[in-house]
Amino acid sequence: MSAHPQNLTCRLCGHEHRAVPLAPGERALCVRCDTVLAQGSRLGADAALAFTITGLMLALPAALLPFITAGKLGHERVGLLFTGVNGFRDNGMHLLAIWVLLCGTLVPIAMLIVLAGLLVPARLGWPPVQVDLLSRAAHALGYWAMPEVQVLAVLVALMKLGKLVHVAIGPGFWCYGAMSFALLLAWRSFEFQSTVRGDASPPS
Amino acid sequence: MKRRLPRLRSENPANAAALALAAAMMLVPANLLPILNTQISGLNRTDTIFSGIVELWRQGLWVIAVIVFTASILIPVLKLAGLGWLILSAHRGPSNDVRRLTRLYAALDFIGRWSMLDVFLVGFLSGLVQFGALSTVEPRSGIIAFAIAVVLTVLATQAFDPRVLWRDQAPMTSTSTAS
Repeated sequence: MSAHPQNLTCRLCGHEHRAVPLAPGERALCVRCDTVLAQGSRLGADAALAFTITGLMLALPAALLPFITAGKLGHERVGLLFTGVNGFRDNGMHLLAIWVLLCGTLVPIAMLIVLAGLLVPARLGWPPVQVDLLSRAAHALGYWAMPEVQVLAVLVALMKLGKLVHVAIGPGFWCYGAMSFALLLAWRSFEFQSTVRGDASPPS
Repeated sequence: MKRRLPRLRSENPANAAALALAAAMMLVPANLLPILNTQISGLNRTDTIFSGIVELWRQGLWVIAVIVFTASILIPVLKLAGLGWLILSAHRGPSNDVRRLTRLYAALDFIGRWSMLDVFLVGFLSGLVQFGALSTVEPRSGIIAFAIAVVLTVLATQAFDPRVLWRDQAPMTSTSTAS
């Protein structure tokens, strides 16, 4: 992060900016490379926390309820969140099973938990705990949390199978899709809040 | 004794170059080996990434064929070409196009994850399509090579530090931009 608490550093080019308050909807761009540094929230200061809690609440039904029901000649199969993991595990590809479990499920949920760990104490006025460590953890996890990619993969599987068998989307898929969207919104609200309250004027 | 792991991101683009090269090498088996075996109603076929896309197209599933082509073939190639361009630019020194190069980096950073689509897809199909002896889908070894290639491209992007592009630029003179 930046050397001075009131300065913020562009995550792409490293240019430092002086922080100023932003009006709702106002964006701060890096003067040097035009990267968006921050955006004044239209939804209020609690938006990131609200999206984080929503995501965490959706995680359990996403993991337990059916994603897809597919039927053929009297056989019916129910696809769950862990179906992809089982597909690799049952065929002896254990590392790939773990990888899919991480990117599709564990890392997104860990990221929501880390965001909650950052935002809940701040909201309740408790002393902050390991902000630097948690913030770095959230950034590192961000690279490997790919729930939105798995959402697209399940939709593609649905269309592909629709040619061969009867398929129907189940509630688990909607919960997972909503969880992935909540994570995206929580992360954006958090990142744009915390990276800056800054405008784009260089430190004087 | 406990030692800190060396940081992946470095001012020297050699780390990124090594990872990108490894990813490019891994894309060869990923595209040549079969990724999926499908047995449906007595018909047995084994597909590579490309033949799977051709089959989707042939079945009239054009939208998914384009989505899978983009995620599995176009994005990895564009990403490695883009990273190669960035690494060469960093190596060459000051450029007039730094702003555009920085935008290219941001775009590569964003698109890379979508390559994982095929890995999730093959896993999900293998887990779901198990209708007794009649219809089964099984993953094949190409998907392992492909997953490794995707991980390496993501690591290569992380290892590249876009700040090196700005290292030798003249200091900023403009004041403020807001929109």
